[in-house]
Amino acid sequence: MLVDANHLKLTLNGRAILQDVSVHIERGEIYGLLGPNGAGKSTTIAVLLGLYAPDAGDLRLFDQARGHPVELRGRIGVMPERAGFYEWMSASDYLAWYAGFYGGLQQPAADLLRLVGLGDSGKRPVGQFSRGMQQRLALARALVDGPELLILDEPTNGLDPRGRREIHDLLLRLAGERNVGILLCTHLLDDVERLCSRIGIIDGGRTRLEASLQELASAHAAGRRFRLRLERPPADPSSLPSGLTLTSESQGWWQCLVAPDNTAPLPTLWEDLLVGHGWEIAEIHAEGGGLEALYLQLTASSKNEVKEETT
Amino acid sequence: MSATTQIARKERWALLQDQRGLGWLLAFSAVLSAFALLLISNQELSLLDNAQVVYMLAGTVTTAGAVIAVILGADAFAGERERGTLVPLLIAPIRTSELVNGKALGLVSAWGLMYLLSLPYLWAVGAGGQNLVQAILYLVLFGTPVVLGFGYLAMALSVRSGSVLTSLLTSLIVLLFTASPLLLGPGLRNSTIGRALDAVNPFSGALNTYDAVIIDSDPFLAQLPRLTLVLAWLAVTFLAARTTAHRPRFH
Amino acid sequence: MKPLRQYLFAILLPLLLGVSMAQAADLSIKLEPDQSNPVTPTMGDAMHFHSRIHNDSAHPVEGLVAWISLVEVTPGREQPMDLEDWSAHKAVAGATLAPGAALTTDWPMRLIQSGDYRVVISATDRNEQTVYTSPTLQFHVARKPIIESSRILPVAFGLPLLIGGVMTYRGWRQRRCT
Repeated sequence: MLVDANHLKLTLNGRAILQDVSVHIERGEIYGLLGPNGAGKSTTIAVLLGLYAPDAGDLRLFDQARGHPVELRGRIGVMPERAGFYEWMSASDYLAWYAGFYGGLQQPAADLLRLVGLGDSGKRPVGQFSRGMQQRLALARALVDGPELLILDEPTNGLDPRGRREIHDLLLRLAGERNVGILLCTHLLDDVERLCSRIGIIDGGRTRLEASLQELASAHAAGRRFRLRLERPPADPSSLPSGLTLTSESQGWWQCLVAPDNTAPLPTLWEDLLVGHGWEIAEIHAEGGGLEALYLQLTASSKNEVKEETT
Repeated sequence: MSATTQIARKERWALLQDQRGLGWLLAFSAVLSAFALLLISNQELSLLDNAQVVYMLAGTVTTAGAVIAVILGADAFAGERERGTLVPLLIAPIRTSELVNGKALGLVSAWGLMYLLSLPYLWAVGAGGQNLVQAILYLVLFGTPVVLGFGYLAMALSVRSGSVLTSLLTSLIVLLFTASPLLLGPGLRNSTIGRALDAVNPFSGALNTYDAVIIDSDPFLAQLPRLTLVLAWLAVTFLAARTTAHRPRFH
Repeated sequence: MKPLRQYLFAILLPLLLGVSMAQAADLSIKLEPDQSNPVTPTMGDAMHFHSRIHNDSAHPVEGLVAWISLVEVTPGREQPMDLEDWSAHKAVAGATLAPGAALTTDWPMRLIQSGDYRVVISATDRNEQTVYTSPTLQFHVARKPIIESSRILPVAFGLPLLIGGVMTYRGWRQRRCT
């Protein structure tokens, strides 16, 4: 297991920031970490990176009980919420410089930039990048050392729908082809449902829920509906993976129903729909019930809990 | 390449590539140019003894260097944090000591550039006179610890306060406090308190040494007590920067 | 009685004068310039003066203090000079001179400013209230403009322009890349 964190506790400046947090991530898995602002997500990430030592609980990274934090960070790529670049450096120069902390670039900077959709922007100063471009560059920075574990905090902030999809596809490829474990922090539940196979919900410094989406779907399967927006109408609307039913289509939105007895994880279902049946999906939205309802239910008590310290 | 070297490289790069860094060098150069032009334009000053002028310029270089070192030091951590560029450094496989050492080396580069920039000025005002070579050497020997010490002090405050404004203001106040006895004149400085302050004031240590060497041609051995003072100042402030550089809160 | 009073006065007066003259004659000070001093001193030159303080009395002189003073006598600029930058050696103190002994002192000086000057050595001791002075030495320091604008102007203007030029070029290149 890449991340095996159990019952972590952390007190900072006399305040209990983490009270009982558990996170488990396997290789090749995309794990969604959800929670309201101040729940403890960023602090959990800081603990995983060795920036804080937990007061209690046990933590194993890369199947090691103990490891020097600096060495462990060498195997983890992180995309923080705020991009943070030196605006006078060009994108290529920045990646090459940053890779120096990891022993150098694993692949040419140009290839890395192409991977994130910045192929022709390598020579430009980062100060001239739009917010979306900086997000992409931040992802490239996280990939600079070919990490085994990727931690992403709101990776699709500032991206348009096409950009979001490109990033989603990239993350799915990284997890599927390179066996990279991905910890995804996001407030966008649609992203979670599209990408993640497991989620953890944190609130008030405690893990409220940790489960696979499939388990959740089974537990809350009744009436799970989605609406899809496609690039173009499918050649054969009746060609669908098993476990998925088309209910209606209106103004470019295709309403689908996932069967309660479906056993395939949602990401697999969408991939099958995309690859196996040629549905060119641009957006997916969940409707009613499902993850959103669960999230709201589990984080309803956040008002009275200790808030995470902000800088 | 070690993390320390990577960070020092970036700091050096920023001085020469970033408009902000070049701006500080321009400001430094402008101060020295203003002093040099004042010498020409003012009849009394233009008749000053050569050694006197070199001494005044060495003092100006040290003072301006200390001010800019304070500004760069205050920005070292708090500025990066405010601009959002500190977090990528914290999450990279870099030790705290490497981060601080890299920043410290960056300050050395900054002072090195300022020193090199001051050499043409020293030559312009001091060529053909006495003790120009000594002035150049003693500016390295005494100016370096004083200037870097103020930079490291500002860096320590930058880490501790997390605010560029707070660390800058506090460091400048300390700088003004150490420079203020020099404004009092020899009479007041000869009092018991004045002499006691002079004995522990690194700024006074450097400037009194310039006076003794450039103007009075005193030998090196006579400067050893003041050399000890400025080196102690450098050591204390560097240690302060190292020990206060605990990990800032991460978000 | 008048002749008696006059007679007494004539005897006593020399005695009284003799006492003060004997007290006034305790220390004698000579001041000479060094042989190697420049004939026509110019600003920036170094000069040396040598003093010899001799105890002419029959009793020791204790707690002797001797100091050098410099006065500018350039017409219109007459003033005592602060020796702060002229000399690091401004006084000797605490010496004891046995009867007939002498104290020789070297007084180095750098010529900081042009003008006409007089230098004098003064001395006193712990017990007497008299200040003894040497004869003065007068000298002229010729003016020497040190600051050459032909050296300073290119540096003072050139360096900021160079840095400013680099900044402008960088800014232009960045805008061009947009």
